[in-house]
Amino acid sequence: MSNAQKRLITTGYAGLPFGDVSQCEAGSVGVLGVPSEVDSGPRSGASLAPDALRKMTQRLGTGLPVNGRDLGNLDLTGDWSDVLMQLVTQLADRDIVPIVLGGGSDVALAVLGALPDRPVVAAMPLAWRDLTERPANTIWVGLNGGQPADVWDQISQRTMDWRTARQLDEGHVHFSDMPERALLWIDISVVDLGHAAGAVGLNPGGMKPETLASVIGAMSCRWQAIVITGLAPALDTRGMSELAAIETLNAALHNG
Amino acid sequence: MGEAAHIRFDTIPSFLGASIGDLEDLVPGQVAIAGYFCDNLTRPAAGQRYLARQLRYASRPEKAPANAIDLGDVNVFPLERDKHFSAVIAQCAAVLETGARMVLVGGDSSGLEALGVAAQKVTGADVPVIPVTGGVAGQLSHTQPVILSVDLQELAGKWVSHPRRLTGMSPAKMIAQIDATPGDVIAAAIFGLAPELDIRGGAETRAALAILQAVTERLEKGAG
Repeated sequence: MSNAQKRLITTGYAGLPFGDVSQCEAGSVGVLGVPSEVDSGPRSGASLAPDALRKMTQRLGTGLPVNGRDLGNLDLTGDWSDVLMQLVTQLADRDIVPIVLGGGSDVALAVLGALPDRPVVAAMPLAWRDLTERPANTIWVGLNGGQPADVWDQISQRTMDWRTARQLDEGHVHFSDMPERALLWIDISVVDLGHAAGAVGLNPGGMKPETLASVIGAMSCRWQAIVITGLAPALDTRGMSELAAIETLNAALHNG
Repeated sequence: MGEAAHIRFDTIPSFLGASIGDLEDLVPGQVAIAGYFCDNLTRPAAGQRYLARQLRYASRPEKAPANAIDLGDVNVFPLERDKHFSAVIAQCAAVLETGARMVLVGGDSSGLEALGVAAQKVTGADVPVIPVTGGVAGQLSHTQPVILSVDLQELAGKWVSHPRRLTGMSPAKMIAQIDATPGDVIAAAIFGLAPELDIRGGAETRAALAILQAVTERLEKGAG
């Protein structure tokens, strides 16, 4: 983040001080904005999400249940995805939980690429093929019925645990094979557009924001990295989508 | 007063379409509703002071409560804290001394504080404040004077234009809770909402208006 940007936003995400990796302590979190933009589809604006989330937490007076530093926004000139992977690896090696605020889904793919052997909990409407091919099973939260057949086959053959938004709303929130440690990827498109309009993906019949927060909050996992993507704040003048991201992140950190 | 002037006066928007009056018009048991145009003192958030005006504009005169009166706004001095509190306390006390029950609408929670002090002055004892979320320990007798605190920030995010939280109460649940408030509700404060003043604020304004209606009806009942 440039000095000019830092002056505009006086404190970091959820009141964390701005700093760098060397100032983060083991057991704390490092919040990093990666304002990449979605490169296809009619809905865009994901690059505005990191700063919008910082402003929203400032306005609401949100605090985090853990200490840490806000590392600012990643400079997206050049091969930023390699830089992001190195940064995530560096944080994870020092037992600091990276919280990465995207951006588009390319941000999450880089974060997950940095920690390839860890299981993933993925809240998203459409399964990413890359996730079905990781060595550890992914747990899917809020999948809809629009998956390609080969992705369904892969999920079924590997007996991955998944729930639709409707199942979760009906209280089927117990996941049988929850790992002790995992990476968490929340694509805000998992939330129904009717409840929160600020997502880059259209997902009619998706999750309610409060269900997302409570389902993630009920997971006993210790998160080794958290990444949020697909939030397009300018599409939601009420701020429900930002609130969904903020409360879900807080719910996750209360456990992990 | 000419007919034209009468018509203009009659069309001044009032809370729930209630008749407009002054302190000397109050009688015991009547519900006096007043606006509170101050949102910078306790839990400040700009815009909360406009709730009273918004609810007056959104009110429909055909559903006016029979036993309520719109007193206008209490005089406030938001930049002079001490003067402000003593003035608001004195005005609230003057209303309660008539035997009327009082609803303060809008602003921040400083109105509730002033109302509490005024009620204590008038009754000579501490008057418990019952939050709309419930949770008051112990049993209250139905004659115990109480103040009802209706913090509209307790509404779930989907009911308001600028949500601060995802979960919370629905207007229907809040209204049910208001109706079930124990004790003799002598006063109430409705606060904590900065309504959008255009069409986007329609849902929250209607919700707040229904809540004001429920509070007025609860106060008209008196001892619960």
